[in-house]
Amino acid sequence: MRIRRRLQNGKRVHPMPVDETPSGSTPPVDETATGDVSPADSPIAESAPAESPWAIQVRQLNFVYPGGRPALNDLTFDVRVGEIVAIVGPSGAGKSTLLMHFNGLLPSEIPRRSDRAAASVSIAGIPVVRENLPDIRRRVGFLFQDPDDQLFCPTVGEDVAFGPLNLGCSQTEATARVIESLTAVNLADAISRSTLQLSMGERKRVCLAGVLACRPEILALDEPFSNLDPRARRNLLDCLRRFNGTLVLTTHDLDVVVEFCTRVVVLDNGRLHADGPPAEILANPALMQRHGLEIPFRLRT
Amino acid sequence: MAGNFWDRYAREASVCHRLPTGLKLALTLTVILVGCFVPVEHWPVHVMLLSVVFAGQSLAGIPLAYLVRRLALFLPMLLILSLSLPLSHGGEAGWRMASTILLRGVLAFTTMLWLVNVTTTDVLLVTLRRYGMPGIVVATLAFMYRYLFLVWDERDRMIQARQARTFGKPTIDQRWKSGTQLIGMLLVRSLTRAERIYGAMCARGWNGTVHHWEPDADSPPSSERKAGSSDAR
Repeated sequence: MRIRRRLQNGKRVHPMPVDETPSGSTPPVDETATGDVSPADSPIAESAPAESPWAIQVRQLNFVYPGGRPALNDLTFDVRVGEIVAIVGPSGAGKSTLLMHFNGLLPSEIPRRSDRAAASVSIAGIPVVRENLPDIRRRVGFLFQDPDDQLFCPTVGEDVAFGPLNLGCSQTEATARVIESLTAVNLADAISRSTLQLSMGERKRVCLAGVLACRPEILALDEPFSNLDPRARRNLLDCLRRFNGTLVLTTHDLDVVVEFCTRVVVLDNGRLHADGPPAEILANPALMQRHGLEIPFRLRT
Repeated sequence: MAGNFWDRYAREASVCHRLPTGLKLALTLTVILVGCFVPVEHWPVHVMLLSVVFAGQSLAGIPLAYLVRRLALFLPMLLILSLSLPLSHGGEAGWRMASTILLRGVLAFTTMLWLVNVTTTDVLLVTLRRYGMPGIVVATLAFMYRYLFLVWDERDRMIQARQARTFGKPTIDQRWKSGTQLIGMLLVRSLTRAERIYGAMCARGWNGTVHHWEPDADSPPSSERKAGSSDAR
């Protein structure tokens, strides 16, 4: 496999891996992707920092759940530092499964360094192998879909401090990070509150604070806007806007994707079917219909 | 289950609440240990200890109705356990053991109920940790406190869902069957949740070592803890 670098207006843009094909020939397109915007043909989002280094590299990633259900099928794509990428697709498409690979939560048997070739995912050039997991998890903050899975301490402050203490921070440093992170999500006064006494929006923001307290370079958010009312969604979105780093999120809220993300990836049946700027990809009625999606309101004419 | 099921009055400000947590722990342990070591023949001592506990409950502003309701949940289990002893051990010895268990059980339960209602759980856990309780035990208690309510809520939702699809009065056989299925499903869901929680812990760098956060003076003290927001669950 080689990396084909595409040129747009004389500038190097989003390189997409393609199979070795004779020069000028079209790379093979999967049957299910026929007619879709194939990765190799998709333009890069206008605001994506084309020259920034790679944040995430995924190469021919396959994953099968115990029981034999395939979840990811030969998936290849990259994310540059500073990009805000939305992974969209129908339920069961493999979005959350893909996201969990970024943090080394999947597969359950992470390859060892000796089997480096088996690693299909790299974070900032570091392969996701067992020996690198502490470093990977320091770099990638993962926000779970259900905040109750992530809020396991009795009080908000303790929960936010969990990550920094695991990273080896002193009590003073951990406390400083707790205050800083809770302030960033506008919940500074909730430090002593019980995690049982939070609304859904507050729980999501406390989870985000817990992740931010680890000071990650990359945020992987699994359906962050699910079960939120419009105000809570807006609050969370405002918090995310302040994050200075790479952001990858899965969502069914396509209006948020248009408003917030610089790039969208359409995933269905574990395969990548489209990759490009939201305004272009999500306005394609045939593509949307084929993958069980709807054109967002703000793109409807 | 309400989030404050077992510590509903822990955030009040009575004289009992204001006592140092270490002292409250020591008082509780003393009452329980004395109750355990004094033979049942000296029942006036037990009565005196129970009076002290009830006085403590009154001082803390814990309503009698609350105490009775909690005892009503606990006593059936204790009665089954204690009343089985006369059957297995026979006559006088069995009844003596039954009354011992009943007396000590009620005393220990009401004393613990006083403790958890005059101290918030997180403060109690921190204090236990400070007095040398192993970190893993404290962490397990903290997890239990956090997830017991979630599992109970899940149970409530499943019962509601079952009721929504139940037409007519189910027979005892049907109730037994659906009850066992509910427990089984609850167990499976709890296990999957446990897996997700483990994943969430690993995602934030957990490597098997339990660390405890001890906020310094920058954080507001626990006594200033506020009640939940109006939109809380």
